[in-house]
Amino acid sequence: MKWRNRGKPIAVILTVVLLAFLLFPFFVMLSTMLKSAEEVYTNPPPWIPKSWKFSNLIRLWSEFDFAVYFKSSLIISLGSTLLNTLLTVPAAYAVARLRFVGRRFILYLFLVIQMFSPVIVVISLFKTMASLKLLNTYLSLILANSVFTIAFTIWMMNGYFRSIPKEIEEAALIDGCSRVQTITRIMLPIAVPGLVTTMIYSFIAAWNEFLFGLTFIQSKQKMPLVLGLYNFVGRWTTQWELLNAAAFVALVPVLVLFYIIEKRLVAGLAGGAVKA
Amino acid sequence: MSEAAIPLRQRLWNPEARLAYVLLAPAVLVLLGFMIYPIVYVFLISLFKTNKLAQFKEFVGLRNFVNQLADKEFWQITARSLYWTAIAVAVKTVLGMIVALLLNVKYAGRKFARMLFIVPWASAVPISAILWGWVYHPQYGLLNATLKATGIWANPPTWLGRPLPAFTACIWVDIWIGIPFMALVFLAGMQAIAEDLYESAYLDGVNALQKFFYITLPGIRHLVLIATLLSCLWTFNDFNTIYILTRGGPAGATDILITKLYKNAFEFLKFSPAAVMAVVTFFILTALSILYARIYFRQEQAS
Repeated sequence: MKWRNRGKPIAVILTVVLLAFLLFPFFVMLSTMLKSAEEVYTNPPPWIPKSWKFSNLIRLWSEFDFAVYFKSSLIISLGSTLLNTLLTVPAAYAVARLRFVGRRFILYLFLVIQMFSPVIVVISLFKTMASLKLLNTYLSLILANSVFTIAFTIWMMNGYFRSIPKEIEEAALIDGCSRVQTITRIMLPIAVPGLVTTMIYSFIAAWNEFLFGLTFIQSKQKMPLVLGLYNFVGRWTTQWELLNAAAFVALVPVLVLFYIIEKRLVAGLAGGAVKA
Repeated sequence: MSEAAIPLRQRLWNPEARLAYVLLAPAVLVLLGFMIYPIVYVFLISLFKTNKLAQFKEFVGLRNFVNQLADKEFWQITARSLYWTAIAVAVKTVLGMIVALLLNVKYAGRKFARMLFIVPWASAVPISAILWGWVYHPQYGLLNATLKATGIWANPPTWLGRPLPAFTACIWVDIWIGIPFMALVFLAGMQAIAEDLYESAYLDGVNALQKFFYITLPGIRHLVLIATLLSCLWTFNDFNTIYILTRGGPAGATDILITKLYKNAFEFLKFSPAAVMAVVTFFILTALSILYARIYFRQEQAS
């Protein structure tokens, strides 16, 4: 035990140093969002603002089109979550519980395409969206986001369905429930944690999405938050205090949601050896 | 009755299989329409001469590929994509391992430390890239101000303005985003290793380094493999970090295949070269994905 006793303080010190180093950008974000405009543009910039301008968090909603972007992001993320869930649940049930030719192949295929890059298809998808007259609509992003999360969420949901003992379902079938009833009344209620995980996952994925937004959306009215923030940088005088405040407000919901699913997400990505 | 004894027709077309097809149909149709068809289409573009509206002009076979392969810039960018991935994944693995080892030590506040270590992964990548862009800002960014004030580096570079510093700055952000996932996977593996292995090693007088190389590392090697593979896929695909920080600049110094292909298509309207790069990227990613899927599947089967 001697080694561990000596090792512990060293580990704590190293942890603190490493965390201070890794979290530096977030420290900068918190510091900048409370600065006044003059303080942002002082050289050298102060670490901690002299007076804390919490008003930046309010100005954001009036001086920067934050409310518009926020609303777009909400619509797109909720829409993606809804569509993704509607597509995922039945498909996951089928691969988890029903016997049919090609079941293993389909599972394998989902696992492979889950890793495909949006950049590969963005050229063609742009043309598809143009010909469907979907450019510059929320629907284009809802569709594109769902397509790129579906494979992974089916995999995760498949795992949850399979962990439910078959006997429970069989008993319900014998008692005269139809297949659809066993899904909605027996399987889904038991798989709620899994359902919540996949829903949160697709919400976060849509909230953080940048590439499709950059390509499909032109008008400010339809822009998701991440894209709004991106376009805010690079004008000749960027109001960094507002931008950092906006980044903070945009991050809070995804951080909270991420902590709910973090363990199950790691287990889903790394496979059987990691238990959620 | 064994499965083979049932006629194929009946195996393909019975009530249970029919229900499965119905339930799978919506997801499969969406994937076919918005993922598989676009991939086929990008293959087609790569075989045609196209105009600035991405309309097909003339079938040229593999000439677009030949043109790219003869282009020095293409090789430069492909090579950069590969070493971008190799360096970033190697550093993530090492740093992730260090973080996992630190989190595996039992002390009060360990859960809190774990939460804080996750933040870079939990954060939205595009927002992180924007925040880093501000940290790197040459006049008003706090990175250079801190380096100067503490005397660590009296004359730090203009991070995003010159080729080598820009590449370093971009790859660091990609690494920074990827450390937590590695750490969490390794940590989960370490916590599954039986405690008595370490106890008996302790009784045998084994030192910390030996413990790591003879017990910890062999115990988590499958997870290391799967995590590094996933990380390779994500790193190769990390469009957001590079595009937001530098757009591939200065002078193309940070372009990798996916940023260049995007710029070729949507900035320069050169769709055929873009499609060629997309096809090359597709093959690299598919190879990695299949490797990942095989290992994942084997693990699932085993557990």
